[in-house]
Amino acid sequence: MKYEILDSPDFAMLQLTLNKDDEVIAESGAMVAKDTGIEIETSMRGGLFSAAKRKLLGGESLFQNRFKSQRDGQRLYLAPPAEGDLQMQELAPGEEFFLQSGAYVAHYGDELQIDTKFGGVKGFFSSVGFFMLKIVGPGKVFYGSYGALHCVELTGESYTVDNSHIVGFTQGLDFKITKFGGYKGLFFSGEGLVARFSGQGKIWLQTRSTSSLTAFLHPFRRVKRQNN
Amino acid sequence: MKIEIQYNTAHSLATVHLEAGEAIRAEAAAMVSMTENIDVSTTAGHGAGGGLFGGLKRAALGGESFFQNLFRAVSSGAHVSLAPRLCGSMLVHDLQQGEELLIQGSSYVAAPDSVQLNTKFQGFKGFISGESLFFLKASGQGPVLLNAFGALQEVQLDGELIVDTGHLVAFTEGVQYKVTKASAGWVGAFLSGEGLVLRLEGRGKVYLQSRNPQEFGQSVGRLLPARKA
Repeated sequence: MKYEILDSPDFAMLQLTLNKDDEVIAESGAMVAKDTGIEIETSMRGGLFSAAKRKLLGGESLFQNRFKSQRDGQRLYLAPPAEGDLQMQELAPGEEFFLQSGAYVAHYGDELQIDTKFGGVKGFFSSVGFFMLKIVGPGKVFYGSYGALHCVELTGESYTVDNSHIVGFTQGLDFKITKFGGYKGLFFSGEGLVARFSGQGKIWLQTRSTSSLTAFLHPFRRVKRQNN
Repeated sequence: MKIEIQYNTAHSLATVHLEAGEAIRAEAAAMVSMTENIDVSTTAGHGAGGGLFGGLKRAALGGESFFQNLFRAVSSGAHVSLAPRLCGSMLVHDLQQGEELLIQGSSYVAAPDSVQLNTKFQGFKGFISGESLFFLKASGQGPVLLNAFGALQEVQLDGELIVDTGHLVAFTEGVQYKVTKASAGWVGAFLSGEGLVLRLEGRGKVYLQSRNPQEFGQSVGRLLPARKA
């Protein structure tokens, strides 16, 4: 399997070249195009229960597509839903990586494990569901962002990130969801809740958030007439 | 204070680097991330034009959000990163002492307290356009962080220019403006889809945005399911 990221950073797309028997698993709806030597098998990965858990908790789709190549040199094109960037994280055996659930695009490697990690009770109160996918290597995982991907490296100090701008982070980091700028800040600042990271590692942020876009569009929606 | 802008044109991010004691005031909801050595307070005002009334007036007239967050560095090496709601560029206008910048309300992102913001009331001529025609008047000295929906276009004006109100970001004070019709007759002005426009006149700098937020909101918002009143 070879990969190339095209048209980064504003409208990134993933081009994979698969050899015979290579397999890639992708989020349903991510496929743009493929050569005819690649077959698609749709399944609930890990069986009904774990697929349902991913769907309910992680916001991932219930089904995932397995792309298996029958011949050498077959191309598969994948894209995330929002305009923005795409990146790959390669994980060694046992190495962990955390992804905001909507950022997952695809992965390569049969031994890669993906589990939904509960973000803690406080996550319920944030406008963005704070469920993270815990990904354990070995393998490669591809993830996308809304806007540019911005990397911040932490060497022990703590760092605050708006929930809706988190894409992913490496192992060695821990986070706590906290209110922003005191109670007055929580209700009035428009920032809602933030994640306070500590430890050592890298965080990837996205420079736009879908919740800001929906907040902008909300006033433009038609108003439903009351029938009583 | 140093403001670094990355990822222009489409997905800009502004990182404001602060030394100990320095502070920047930003639109509510603009914060993306920040270092631990920053003290945050939420206020309804902005510098000299502040206070509750100032905040209300800006929110009602300026199209700005009512609350602002003040980010103050308690030690050096601090930063806060800021992003606008929509896709597009950001730009820093370095305001000089004695200069004034008129900013269309939703184009303002952040400024330090050495910059004063006041709502400039447009009077009756602003109301009839139906579009937000209220400006924030920035005076004082320091960097003013602006955002655009789409790309930012900087025009050096020496003479006259007609600008659609939804595409205007800001202009310097040497420029006079008048609200006018896009074409000669009222029927033509209505049918052209351009409505009312601004006639800018004088010498100065004009910042334009290549997309109009109102047009975007209307074209996408009406496709969404209806909301409760």
